[in-house]
Order: sequence, then C-alpha cells, then structure tokens
Amino acid sequence: MNISILGGATTKFGELWNVSPRALAKEAISNALIDANKSAEDIDAIFVGNMLAGILGHQANIGSFFGEELGRFVPAFHIEGACASGGLVLHNAINSINAGVYKTVLVLGVEKMTDVSQDDVMAGLMAAGSDEERQAGATFPGIYALMAQSYIERYGITEENLAGVAVKNHYHGSLNKKAQFKSLVTIADVMKSTRIADPLKLLDCSPVSDGAAAVIITGDTRVKNKVQITASEIGTDTLSLLDRKTFMSLNAVKIASKNAYKKTGIVPEKIDVAEIHDCFSIAEVIAVEDLGFSKQGEGALDIYKGKYTLGNNGLVTNPSGGLKACGHPVGATGIKQIVEITEQLKGAADTRQVKNAKVGLTHNVGGSGTVAAIHILQI
Amino acid sequence: MITTPVKLWRRQKDVSKLIGQEGYVLSFTLIRVAAKGFGKESPYPVVIVKMENGKKLIGQLVDWEEKDLKKGRRVKAVLRKLTPDHTEDVIAYTIKFLPLNS
Repeated sequence: MNISILGGATTKFGELWNVSPRALAKEAISNALIDANKSAEDIDAIFVGNMLAGILGHQANIGSFFGEELGRFVPAFHIEGACASGGLVLHNAINSINAGVYKTVLVLGVEKMTDVSQDDVMAGLMAAGSDEERQAGATFPGIYALMAQSYIERYGITEENLAGVAVKNHYHGSLNKKAQFKSLVTIADVMKSTRIADPLKLLDCSPVSDGAAAVIITGDTRVKNKVQITASEIGTDTLSLLDRKTFMSLNAVKIASKNAYKKTGIVPEKIDVAEIHDCFSIAEVIAVEDLGFSKQGEGALDIYKGKYTLGNNGLVTNPSGGLKACGHPVGATGIKQIVEITEQLKGAADTRQVKNAKVGLTHNVGGSGTVAAIHILQI
Repeated sequence: MITTPVKLWRRQKDVSKLIGQEGYVLSFTLIRVAAKGFGKESPYPVVIVKMENGKKLIGQLVDWEEKDLKKGRRVKAVLRKLTPDHTEDVIAYTIKFLPLNS
C-alpha cells in the first residue's frame, strides 16, 4: 500500500450556531487544499463521511450535497458507519486509489449536531443501535454505562479511576486551539458532575458538537517525505451490545488492530501517539487494552496514573483532547484523528507535540463497538 | 423511536413468547437523562438479562428498588406499555423485567 497524506485541516469543533453544514465543509476542504498546496483541479473524487444529515437535517444525496463545496464537479460518495463514518470513508477512499480508479482524492468528515434539541440528537444517535436497545429506552451513555458497570465489577476499579480519562483529555484539549473545551477538569469535577447513566457522569461523556475535517490523500509514488498511511483495517461485530460474549472488550477493534499490526509489522509498543475513540471514559479504557497498550484490566489505572499523558516518555493517547475535550461531531471525528496524527508526525503540533513521534494510530468506533476503523500512519 | 402499527403487529408474536420467562441480570445502568419519549419514567434502570434459555435480552426493570440493581438479580419478563406517554393510536407493549422475590 502506498498512500501519502498531502495535507489536511480541521475546523474548530464546538457549538457553532452561526455556521451552516455547507460552510463547515467548505472551510475544511479549502484549508486542506491550502495545506496540501493543491487546487480543486488536482482532486479526482471526493468521499464524505457523515452520519446524521439524513436523520437530523432531512438531507440525503450527501456526496453531492457536500461535494459541491469543492467548487468543481467530481465523483462524490457518501459512507455512513455511525461514529466510525470518518474512518470507514477513509478506508473506502484508500481502496479506490489502491484499485487504480483514482489517484488523488479528498476525504471529508462533517457533522452538524447542534441545530436540533438534545432529545432529537440522542434519538438520532440511537439510530446506530438496535431496535431492542431503543425499545428498552437505552441511550448511548446508557449502553456504555452497561460496559462500565461490568468493567468496574470485574476489575475492582473505582469511578474516580474512570474519571482519569476526562482529566487527561481535558488537559490535552487545553493545548488545542480547535478544541471545543479548553478547560482543565479535576477528578473531583468529574465526580460531582451531573449523573447521566450510572456509573457515567456528564464529564465521562463526549459532547454534542459541530465540525468538519478533511484530508487529501494520493497514491502517487513520486510523492516523498509525506506522512504515509501504512494500514487501513476495518472490523465489525453485532449491532447490539447484548449479543456479544463480553461487554468489556470490543472484538471489532481487536480484529482491525490485529490486522493493522500484522500488515505493517508494527507492534503496539512501537506506537508513539494514538488518537482513541473516547466517546465515553470507559471507551478509552477498553481501547487501550484492545489495542495492546495496556494489559486487560489495567487500562483505567494506567490512564489514571498518567501513563498516556503528554510529557511522559512513551505513548501519548488523544493529544488533540480526544472526543471528550476536542469534541465529537460524529462523522468528522475519524478524519480529525487523521489530521491530528499527521500534524504530530510532522512535528507541527505546537504545545501538544508528542516528542519524536514517528508512528501513529487512529482508533475510530461506531455504535457500541459494531464497527471499528484502525489506521496506522508513519513518517 | 418508530412504532408503526405494522411493525408492532410483526413483533408481537415474538414478544408474547417471552412473557413469564425468568433470567438474571448481567449488567445494569440507571438512566437519568432519558431517551426521547421515556422522560416521564426517568430515572429508570436498563438491564441486560440472561434468560433461562441462554438468550440475552435488554429491557427496563419495573417495580424496582435500589437493592435490585445488582448483577445476578433474578427477574421475570412481564408485558408493559412501551412508554407511559403512548396513549393514542395503537398502544405499543414490550417486555420489561420484574425483580423476583429472593
């Protein structure tokens, strides 16, 4: 596989009431082209990752809708895989290059979530769950709470330990000018925040966000000295959480990461920086275990003790602030992760730079672990 | 949540088979920020139950107390209205779980 990242950009993430979905897309596309030093004429096709435009915005035909913002008409496609839409669409864009159909493509992730009420956003997100889960009145915080409850009982950790994820990611987010939240939080802040679905509290949960991110990738073998995507792997699992053998590990992530490690010959110990899908605190805990960074049952304590915090001498997870602090415009998240890792590997991440980062990984999950996209990036 | 008459009719035969079956709680949460349409019942527990036939189900716990929120709690599947808000048209029913006297 020979895929180079020519450039990328992320809009600010947050409650952007004065920005339309199209304007988000336009900003990300324009800035990605500038970053790549390319023009619209260089783009052979556009791939769009988005989950909710159809449900919340009554907008279908998403490839064409957002593709228009390139300013030139090229083949445009939409891929949906809940919160993994970004990772999935990148995978498909890479496939199109590997198949020899296109040479240089633009991959956009975009989501507008704050135009509607909280009730409607939550119901829209639950479209990624199963009918059984919806009939039970389950919410996504509720489904991850079921995982957290199992994990807490099995490994004897505390809710304070889980809170360590938010503390770390808010610290990282405080260094990221694109982040939705730049405020520092303490374990005590997390513990006293509003209870959402026991044992998860407000500060265990990623926010509702607007935002877009775009990358331009190419299969042109003449391109040198750029960050390369050396693995793009997808894993899938049951739609419902309850149909799985365990609630404390995501098999979709295990499958995709195992394949990514195998294809690149990279072992988990070689990853310098990773963007993790921390939609809820428990999700990052499970992720660092499934990805082979922490031993089973030790993820929460590792994070709590600062093993993956900026300033250490090893792997740093979620230097962008993750979904928790940077924000989670669901279709944009998987592409934002790629933009962040690219900046890290280029040494262009300012105060949140991970020292000597050469190998990065992105972990993007849809639903309750129904689908996972793992990418490995190297320079 | 979409509960059209046709969809309800299609799933009612599966729901009726579950009534009275017993199982035990595998994991639980107490949902305080309710899903759309469930606000009047908030906070409400959602549990994953392993039934005697080995099948796993997800549903709400009804007539519960704090002590019922624990792994291993024995429960029985009962028929209940899907949401209390649902008072017009075809009323949707579903399986919820009643804690059994231990």
